[in-house]
Order: sequence, then structure tokens, then C-alpha cells
Amino acid sequence: MSLRMFRVISTAIVALALTQPAAFAHDQIGVAGGLFSGLLHPVTGIDHLIAMVAVGIWGAQLGAPAIWVLPITFPLVMAIGGVLGVLRIPLPMPEVVIAVSALVLGVAVATRLRLSFPVAAVIVAVFAVFHGHAHGAELPGSANPMAYGVGFVTATGLLHLGGIAIGTLTRWPAGERVIQGLGAGIAGLGCYFLAQGLGAIA
Amino acid sequence: MTAMRYLRLALVVLATLMQPSMLGAHEASLGVLEFREVRPGAFIGRWTMEPSIGAGRIDLRVPPHCFLRLPEMNCGQKGLVGSITITNLGANMSAVLIKVIPIAGEPRSYTISTANPVVSVLGTGAPTLEAWIELAKTYVNYGIDHILLGADHLLFVLGLIWIVGGGWRLVKTITAFTIGHSASLAAAAFGLIGVPERPLNACIALSIAFVGVEIVKQQRGTMGITARYPWAVAFTFGLVHGIGFASALAGLGLERSLLPAALLFFNIGVEIGQLAFVLLVLALIWAHRRLDAVVPRWGEALPAYAIGSVSMFWFFGRLVRVFAAI
Amino acid sequence: MKLKFRRGWIAAALLLAQGGAAEAHIVAARLGDFYMGALHPFTDLQDVILWTATGVLAGSLGASRGRWLILVFPLGLLVGLPLGRIFGAASAGLADAAMMLAIGLMLAAATRIPTSALCAISFGLAVMRGAANGADLGPDTDRVLFAAGLACVGYTIITLTMALTVVFRGTESDGSAPWRTIAVRALGGWIAAIGLMMASIVLAS
Repeated sequence: MSLRMFRVISTAIVALALTQPAAFAHDQIGVAGGLFSGLLHPVTGIDHLIAMVAVGIWGAQLGAPAIWVLPITFPLVMAIGGVLGVLRIPLPMPEVVIAVSALVLGVAVATRLRLSFPVAAVIVAVFAVFHGHAHGAELPGSANPMAYGVGFVTATGLLHLGGIAIGTLTRWPAGERVIQGLGAGIAGLGCYFLAQGLGAIA
Repeated sequence: MTAMRYLRLALVVLATLMQPSMLGAHEASLGVLEFREVRPGAFIGRWTMEPSIGAGRIDLRVPPHCFLRLPEMNCGQKGLVGSITITNLGANMSAVLIKVIPIAGEPRSYTISTANPVVSVLGTGAPTLEAWIELAKTYVNYGIDHILLGADHLLFVLGLIWIVGGGWRLVKTITAFTIGHSASLAAAAFGLIGVPERPLNACIALSIAFVGVEIVKQQRGTMGITARYPWAVAFTFGLVHGIGFASALAGLGLERSLLPAALLFFNIGVEIGQLAFVLLVLALIWAHRRLDAVVPRWGEALPAYAIGSVSMFWFFGRLVRVFAAI
Repeated sequence: MKLKFRRGWIAAALLLAQGGAAEAHIVAARLGDFYMGALHPFTDLQDVILWTATGVLAGSLGASRGRWLILVFPLGLLVGLPLGRIFGAASAGLADAAMMLAIGLMLAAATRIPTSALCAISFGLAVMRGAANGADLGPDTDRVLFAAGLACVGYTIITLTMALTVVFRGTESDGSAPWRTIAVRALGGWIAAIGLMMASIVLAS
């Protein structure tokens, strides 16, 4: 058994190492290629990554029902954005909105913004659609769309879970400070990406 | 007397029906290919006996690091280590004998046949590290293949699990079975004991039927010998099954100096496969308990009868072959 | 490098890591048609996701409703297998995606569907996937052995997934943490999201 496991782990590492550089090219073949590029896509785009983590933290700060509605419905709403992306239905200024999402969510986390649940849900849903759209536009180009989709939904879900886990630090006063600092950092990065996005337009 | 003769005839016909592929094999052709080492790692190959279908139609595959364009083959520093196979052996091409003549050391022969389409070549000189790795890879995998394809062995193990249940008793029982078959496998491979293959296979089938009977006994509330001394039964039948494993090794034409190592790796492979099977069965038993999906009372005896019927079917089939061979 | 995958879970992990349906076919062919049938579902993700989703859905409804699937699901696969030969390799992409979306939504919404509906859904799914697995069989494959392998692996995956889900969720009476229920529902949301995107891909192409 241990021999098998050793082989499994070593092949997984080798496969990961082999596909890693290619993951950015979005043109590899087969299930593994699609899976890894899907998994890596949300992680390698810093703007996506920080926004997803911020959603998780904010959900945890808002408490019930946001903390449990969020992980169930967010992937679905994002998939709706993904469908728009696949069908090549354009959304206005996607880069800017994604940067704004990081900024807004970062500020919300830093200031412990408490909105009523429906308002918060609508804000997050709009951003989810934009994030999903960006991923969905990449989907048909990948060799195995199925594997790519699985990878990207899993990665997004895991980022949320990470955010929620960080968010549970609010129970302790010191943790609360750390989270607010994180929120400020996310907002700052959001500003940077916003400036970049606006600069690209101008 | 006539009745006896008819019986013999009937048995022969039955056996023929059961082994249709074996008959046509005798008309097919044989080829002999010789590789002579001219420099370390470089060989000159030629057909000393060309097969009747023509040498050009033989699809010979050598280890990937070797470059083959007859009459030349170059294996570089690593030497001729790895598996050689012919992919298109079939009805009109039954076997190819490959002779390897190294610069130093004894010539070696390997037979590639439909029954044994892949041979492992372990270098021309003293065994190198690559040769050991190749040997381990080949025989561990061979062992796993053998146990996973041996439905009779797996069925016997399943029967044992059924009687013993889980826990410490099962560990002891499976260990006893392992010790039993390892011992007799080694003994048979070194030629200490020799048992004709066909009666042995019939015995293996009978051992499974025995376990089936023991399950029924247990369900009727009688403590059978397996329920009382599971390890003893497992050890005894392990001896029988082990000789069966050895027959799989026999056809490989291994040289004597490498036999212990090959035996060890083969056995490791068998244990890996067996352990995986046991774990899978235990996981499924656990799942069934959790789901409260156990066999209803009226059907309790069904699995035992299924095991018994299958094994007796095998037993009679194999018995027919025993008599047909006389 | 020769890849040799043997048992379900290891096979799943390795195949996901290595991909390459072709390699799996070569390996399985060496071990005979039974193992070819048993490993065939792992050669693409449709089977892995849909079968797991069905198992989780049944498990989340509790042991008493789910346990019928132990028989129903492999039977469905066996019924579907010969159909694949008749219909050929017809693309069932949209049906797969729709099934994924439907099962995911039921899981996410924690719908208490009745036993008969659960059996019907899983039987239909099994027939579909059985047909898909049987579509590209070569003429020299022993269909009986292939079917036996496929049914065995279907039974194994469904039974294990259901039991694991039942254990993970715990019973409502023993006061297991509510986050476990949420986790199962979140998994449903993920599966539905994948199904939704797959459907759009099929429609777009």
C-alpha cells in the first residue's frame, strides 16, 4: 500500500510540476491540464484572489444567515456570470468592476460595514457575476472545459472557505485588528488595480 | 469397457471446447532472433531462424532508451535493461526466441510467446541498479496482476472475511494465509515440491467450496473448524494456493541467481493486491452496516451458496481437464 | 513510464493527476476487460462528478431512503450499457450538464425528495452514463466482463459515497454541528455551478 501511495504522491507532484509552467498558457491537453489551469486561474489572478477571500471574511463578519448562504449560492451566481462569458455576452468595463469589487469588499471588511442581508447579497451577487464572466470567457478555449470548470469552482470555493476561516478570528479582539488590517490591505490593492484598469482605458 | 471409452471421448471433447485457443497454436511458426554485443551497450541483431510470416512483419518493441534499427541496436550506457515485447503475436506467429550474447558472460535466451508476451531483460553483465529496479518493477506488478486476475484466490479471501468478520481475528487469519502461500510459493519455485498443475487447480476450487460450506454451517449455528481455528484453515489452504502462484512464475524462464529476488518482489505484489482487496471489502462491509443495508433474513444463505456454486462449477471444469490429460 | 492503476480510489487520484484517458485504456486492457470496465468511468470527469453527486444526495437524505440505490444504480448501468451500442457515441453533454445542475440544486436546497423520485433519478442517470460508457467499446471487448466491472465499480462508488455522507452529516438527534449540513449543501452549490457552465458550453458550441 505504501508503495502505491508513494507512487501516487510522486506522480501527482511530477504532474503538478510538469503542468505548472503550462498553466499560464491555457492550452494544455487532457483532464489534468484543464483541472490544473482551472484550479490555478483564480489563484494566479491577484485581483480575483483577494476579492474571493474578502467575500469570505465579510460573510463571516456579517454572521448568520450570510455565513451559510454565501458558500452555497456564490458559486451558482458566479456560474451565471460564467454562462454570460461563455456566450460572449459583454459586460461593461469588467476589469474596472473587478478592481472596484476588491476595493469595496476590502473597505467593508476594514470598517466592519454592517448592511442588511438583502443589500449585502445584491452587492456580492453583482461582483460574483463579473468574476464569473472573466472565468467563463476563458472556458471554451481550454482543452477540457469540464475539468477547467471543476478546477475553477473548487478553487473559488476553497478561497471562500479560507476567507470564512480567517473571518472567525473576529471572536478575539486581537484577531479583529488583524482582519481589519487585512481588509485595508485588500482595499489598497483594489485601488492599485483600479488605477491600472482606468489607466488602460485612458 | 466401451462405456469407459465413451466417457474418455466425452471428456476430451469437453476439454477441447473449453480450450479452443490452445489447439491452433501448433501450426504457427517460430522465430529465433540473436543479439550479439559488439561494444558495451551496442548490439548486432540477426534472425538465425526467420519466421514464416517474414521478419519484417514482426513488431518488436525494445526498452525506450534503446535505439533499434535492425541489424543494429544501441542501448547506450544503461545497457540492455528493460522489457522486450512483440505486439503482433497471434494465430500465425506463436513464439520468438531471443538470444542475447554479451561480450562478457553467458549467453541468455528469452522466449516471447502469446502466453508470455513481455520478457524482462536484466542487463548483460552483473545485475546493476537499473536491473534491480527493473526486476522489482516487473515482478511487483506481475504479482499484483496475478492476484487481481485470480478470481479464485480473491473468492477464497472473501469467504474467509465472511466467516471471521473484522478485527484482530481477521488480521491473524490473513497473516496465516499469507505465510502459508509464501512458504509453498517459495518451495515450489525452488523445485522442492512439484505438484501437477491441473489437479492442483481443482483442489483450489474445492478449497473455496469448503469455505462456502463453512459459512452455511456458521449460519446454522454450528461452530465449524474455520470458525474455531480460522488461522489453521487459512494456513493450510494458503499452502495449496501458494503452489498455484508458483505455476505463474514457472513459465518466465528466470535464471536461478535472480530467482529469490524475483520471488520476493512477486510475493510483495501479491500481498499488495490482496491487502487492497481486503481493505475494499472491509470498507464495503462498513458502508453496508452504516446504511443498514444488510441481506434480509430469507436471503442470508445466498452468498454462501453463490460462492459454493461458482467454486463447484470451477471444480468440475478443472476436473474434466485433469481426466482429459490422462 | 508505465502507469498501473489498480483500485478505485488510487485509480481516481492517479487518473486525476495524470489524466490521459488513452493511458488508462492501455493499462486496463492489459488487466482484462473486467478491469477495463471498472476503470473506464475514471477516464473522464462526468462519471466521477455525477456518481459522487448522486451518492451524496442519497446519503444526505438518510440511510433509509438512500439504501435502495445500492441495487438500483448498478442495475441502471447494466441497462444503459447495451443502449450505448445502439445509439452510438451520441453526445450526451447537455443531458449530463442538466443532470449535474438538477442534482446540485436539489442538494443545495436540501430538498427532501421521496424515495421513489430518488430511485427514478438515479436509475435514469445510471442508464445515461451506462450508455456513455458503452458507446466507444471496441468489437473485441468482452461485453459481459466489461459490464460486470462497470456494475461493480458503480456499486462500490455509490455505496461508499452514501455511507461516507451519512456518517459525515450525522443524525439530527445527536446534535452534530450545523456546519456539516452546510458543507454538504455547499458541495451541491458547486456541482450545480459546474453543471450550469457545462450546459452553456454545450449550447454555445
